[in-house]
Amino acid sequence: MADKVVNEAAEVEVPAEETVNETVEEAVVETTGKASKKSAKPPKEKKVKGMKIPYERRKALYGYGFLAIWIVGTIWLFLRPLITSLWYSVNTTEVTVGVMKTTFVGLQNYIDAFTVDTDYTTALLSVLRDTLWSTPIIIIFSMFVAVILNQKFHGRTFARAIFFLPVIIATGPVMSIINGDMDTSGYSGGSEAFSTMFETDMAGELLSFLGIYSISDQITEMISLITSDVFNLVWNSGIQIIIFLSALQNIPVSAREAASIEGATSWEFFWKITLPYISPMIVTNLVYTIVDSFIDTDNEVMTLVLSEASDWNHGYSAALAWIYFLIVIVVLGIVLAIINKHIYYEV
Amino acid sequence: MAKEKKDKVVKVEEALEETAAEETVVEEAVTEEPTEEKSAKKKPAKVKAAKEKKPRKKKEMSTEKAEKLFQKERRQHLKEKEKMYKEAKKNGTLDERQLDPKYLGYLRRRRILGVVWPIARFLILFGLGFVILYPLIYMLSTAFRPNAQMNDPSVVWIPKSLTLSNLQDVWDVMDFGATLLNTLRLNIVCSLLSVVSCCLAGYGFARFNFKGKGIMFGIVIMQIIVPPQITVIPLYLQWAYFKMFGLVEVAAGAGATTFLGIAINTASNGSHYISLIDHQVVMYVPAILANGIRSGLFIYIFRQFFRGLPMELEDAAYLDGCGPFKTFIRVMIPNASSAFLTVFLFSIVWYWNDYYISSTFFINNHTVALQLQKLSATLDAQLFNNAQVGTRRKIVWLEAGCLLSITPILVMYIFLQKYFTEGLARSGLVG
Repeated sequence: MADKVVNEAAEVEVPAEETVNETVEEAVVETTGKASKKSAKPPKEKKVKGMKIPYERRKALYGYGFLAIWIVGTIWLFLRPLITSLWYSVNTTEVTVGVMKTTFVGLQNYIDAFTVDTDYTTALLSVLRDTLWSTPIIIIFSMFVAVILNQKFHGRTFARAIFFLPVIIATGPVMSIINGDMDTSGYSGGSEAFSTMFETDMAGELLSFLGIYSISDQITEMISLITSDVFNLVWNSGIQIIIFLSALQNIPVSAREAASIEGATSWEFFWKITLPYISPMIVTNLVYTIVDSFIDTDNEVMTLVLSEASDWNHGYSAALAWIYFLIVIVVLGIVLAIINKHIYYEV
Repeated sequence: MAKEKKDKVVKVEEALEETAAEETVVEEAVTEEPTEEKSAKKKPAKVKAAKEKKPRKKKEMSTEKAEKLFQKERRQHLKEKEKMYKEAKKNGTLDERQLDPKYLGYLRRRRILGVVWPIARFLILFGLGFVILYPLIYMLSTAFRPNAQMNDPSVVWIPKSLTLSNLQDVWDVMDFGATLLNTLRLNIVCSLLSVVSCCLAGYGFARFNFKGKGIMFGIVIMQIIVPPQITVIPLYLQWAYFKMFGLVEVAAGAGATTFLGIAINTASNGSHYISLIDHQVVMYVPAILANGIRSGLFIYIFRQFFRGLPMELEDAAYLDGCGPFKTFIRVMIPNASSAFLTVFLFSIVWYWNDYYISSTFFINNHTVALQLQKLSATLDAQLFNNAQVGTRRKIVWLEAGCLLSITPILVMYIFLQKYFTEGLARSGLVG
């Protein structure tokens, strides 16, 4: 998933180290075989009959061997469709029996998406806004829950099981039925009696009770946005909670101990110890959350892409998907660039 | 945390005693408050207790017991300490440090927090847990009630009478028995194939160095990030107009009308193809080639897991004369059982829940998710004589269908919950 970002940092060192090993080994080969690096193989062959290829190189070949299945599959079932889809995006397509007829139109599809299509830019903007808005909330929320679930109390396993439940069932059509009667209860669901609970503006009433409700429309809107979305929030943070939880469990006891001896309160402990330790996982979760919400089939852009595809406008649909995908990559890049500066990596 | 550490230690089977002792000491250090003089008295007893526990800890299963015992002792110890503190306060024998207002304030804050926080925590967890369980409770409440009671305002949660007829209807409409078998076969075969192929790839990425590894791993990351919606249409065309790398053409040239038992069709440009749509092969082949649903993620998990295993394992195997492949079979696989299980379970869940990819490739090949997806429409057709009926009138059947289709996965989750919640962490996704 997203851990690559985190691990990339660690990774950079490993290959470097290993290449050093390799060169050392190759140097050994060189001295024994008295051959230059590049032609190390043939002389060695002559000298040692049993070991025709140096171990490291043999291992590398085995590496290709282990990946062979994946390489075949990826070229055939991932890269080829990917490139085909990119090709469609610069063509107009026509489906005939057995073949897809394509006519090259250059970047016309891409230009159309922004100039002719009235829905696309608005959908794009709204998805972007929603994602940028909901991601921090999901991150903060899941961190909060993970910290709670990491404490010792009775029924902790049970609580963890419940919080992970959405991951098991939230990804399928079950969710659309569940969501259906949560959201549309007003006119089509038979669940008014239940769903009112989530529809009454409890936070709003609380605020108006305190007399601070209508100070500013924007604040009101923001608060009601958060509170009305509790359901989606909780149901979308299962994986994030698990990731944070396991990060929390990796905080060394010594840090806890030291802080406790120094008399740190749990508040201080959270900011000074917990947060730095789990900050790499924040990146992971950030990437996961962003990707997850971007590729969600229910979001507006995806719906648009899919409806174009089902109207047999495969070329245009592919162009929309590619624009979207590139934007996702750019957003991810920007977010990571900003965040990465503030991440604490344990050396 | 301590538990996990312990488990690892058990695996290594070394230094068991030291860590056991160490842990108890550490735990004590954490609980220790600055009333040292008193706790000092207690300390020898504690260490003794730790020693006492050691032989029991060797038996793997008793670690929880030992933990409980330790907790009990700790509580007792704290209680005694509190008592001593109170006594000292009464007698006025507290030392200066303990009378420091800062320290007193610290203690007070701690005490208040100790009382308030558990309650607050319970409320928070209960509330959020309720939000999560709400749809399930609602599902249960609705699926078993007669449809008529849906509109009865006096019925909120608990129906006045229970019925199985909703479930029965939905069972028939979804053809659930056959569908379930079909889905299970598809899921289990695909997941097994996925596990095997992704494991190989993950190991390749974790332990070998070769040219292009960086780029290839980049592609794995791409596989995770690129939404399936981008590749699904070209893939559909690949399967629907499958030419088997020209073999179909050859067969057609030889005058065959079927290929592998599938009728050969002629395309508009004169070439021949067979259509694999609706055959489960279109799910099996990607799975075995490590390109199934979420395979990128599984490869990633396996890679992380294998990277976490000590390099010495391989070196030892190599010295004993194992080649890389034999090492993999003999040494790595037995060590990777937890990762296998985690990936397998997640794979099952994701295949079970997938409807986007299967709805593209399957038309008459029913899986549970697909049947649920079109349940609303089939209900209209079969229960309401093709009338368009609002969700409101069908809600009991819809919820019953939901209940039916999540039950198998839910049962699996209940029994194997540990592997879901801990598996991700264990398999080193995070490490």
